[in-house]
Amino acid sequence: MNDTLKYAYYPGCSLHASAGEYDLSTRELFSALGISLTEVPDWFCCGATPAHNVDELLSLSLCAKNLELAEQVEGDLAVACASCFSRLKFTQHTLEENATKRKQVEKAIDAPVKLDGKVKHLLEILAKDLGLERLAASVSKPLAGLKVACYYGCLLTRPTDVPNLDCPEAPTIMERVVEASGAETVAWTHRLECCGANFTLSRPGVVLQLTNAILDSAKAAGADCIMVGCPLCHGNLDIRQKEIENVYSAEYNLPVFYLTQLVGLSVGLAPDQLGLNAMIVNPTPLLKEKGLL
Amino acid sequence: MKKKKMLLSQETMDTGFIRKVETLSDTSVRSCFQCGKCSAGCPMATFMEHPPNRVMRLLQLGQWQRVLAGRSIWYCASCETCSTRCPNKVHLASIMDALRKLSWDAEGPSKESYVQLANKLFLQNISSYGRQYEMRLAAVFNVKSGQFLKDMMLGPKLFAKGKLKMFQRKNKNLTEIQKIFSRIEEMRKKGEAL
Repeated sequence: MNDTLKYAYYPGCSLHASAGEYDLSTRELFSALGISLTEVPDWFCCGATPAHNVDELLSLSLCAKNLELAEQVEGDLAVACASCFSRLKFTQHTLEENATKRKQVEKAIDAPVKLDGKVKHLLEILAKDLGLERLAASVSKPLAGLKVACYYGCLLTRPTDVPNLDCPEAPTIMERVVEASGAETVAWTHRLECCGANFTLSRPGVVLQLTNAILDSAKAAGADCIMVGCPLCHGNLDIRQKEIENVYSAEYNLPVFYLTQLVGLSVGLAPDQLGLNAMIVNPTPLLKEKGLL
Repeated sequence: MKKKKMLLSQETMDTGFIRKVETLSDTSVRSCFQCGKCSAGCPMATFMEHPPNRVMRLLQLGQWQRVLAGRSIWYCASCETCSTRCPNKVHLASIMDALRKLSWDAEGPSKESYVQLANKLFLQNISSYGRQYEMRLAAVFNVKSGQFLKDMMLGPKLFAKGKLKMFQRKNKNLTEIQKIFSRIEEMRKKGEAL
């Protein structure tokens, strides 16, 4: 096909810090698939949960300004972080529906609000824009025998009418993407449950309780690993996994991959191109056992 | 918790407050008919003294002081499950946002201080750097909340994995970001926004 897919890219704060491997693997995977990503120049924080929690107008204004910055780059806006994705989509949705809020935001950013640009999560680009057939055709090292628990968390699919990525109660987009990479997926109970997200800072006890239930469910379903599309879910499930095992006297040892890392492996990218060494739960023994390294 | 008697009368029904919440959240407080689906699906309900459906009922009855004084609104994770499942299309997650804002503006009569502190530091990072500075966020939170050793064991591990950035460059759009903060403040002073 001669139409090259081109996107403006909004990595979000986490991808420039604690989720560096998500940024790295996204860039490497998209370049391997021939999809062009151009980072939005000097993008800034979308406000995430804390901003809309206490000041919706601030949250909408920060996102509207970022959407304006993204206009400088050709193509739809590709977003990796589920939280940034949700905030940007919420902003478009709210400002389209509510004229008063739109006027307030225009005053706050001192510019007209532009809502025509499309905001897309990486999953959407892989499953719909590139398409599962083309994705499957790029696979050179199928993830055969790897049982993956796809974890959506909250913000990729909820609420109805806002992210419009997939069905909010029974989504399949993650499963379809990783199955196109040759992996098996497991059916499990907690794929849409909340991990506690940013309570990791203020109330980590809450996060431990919620993530323990998630890890327990994935393990019980026979998963070898978990796949996520959100740096906060990743932080809570991967970075805190040892602590969860200690507190709840459990043994999970479930590596937590970003979707771009697993798909990246299947198209033949090397571990250092995918930042596998940045994962806290070491995935090497599992990948060696399955003959994927 | 000691059970307090709740007196209901025309005087205790503060419809002005309900209207403020409805304007901020763009959803109807009055549509809730107590089916309880929100609380059934809420991952945080076990941590709340008033589960989401009871927050709604208290609001309808004008008992908003009890809601703002409690922890429930600060324990909402904004997971959007309630808004997704409400049969009456009440966007409860947005109502929680509105309630937190009104509590925040009243300088937090709530007992829950850690979540508010984390939010405050997060927003301060945006106005000082333009982007999140995770390392500073965690360090300042620990100092200000008096939990000096919280997550200390994670630090070296994260550092070794390159997950902690020691320094944060200021964003080139910082002046523009700060202007957004000050324009909003000005609009509120003039009464042009809630």
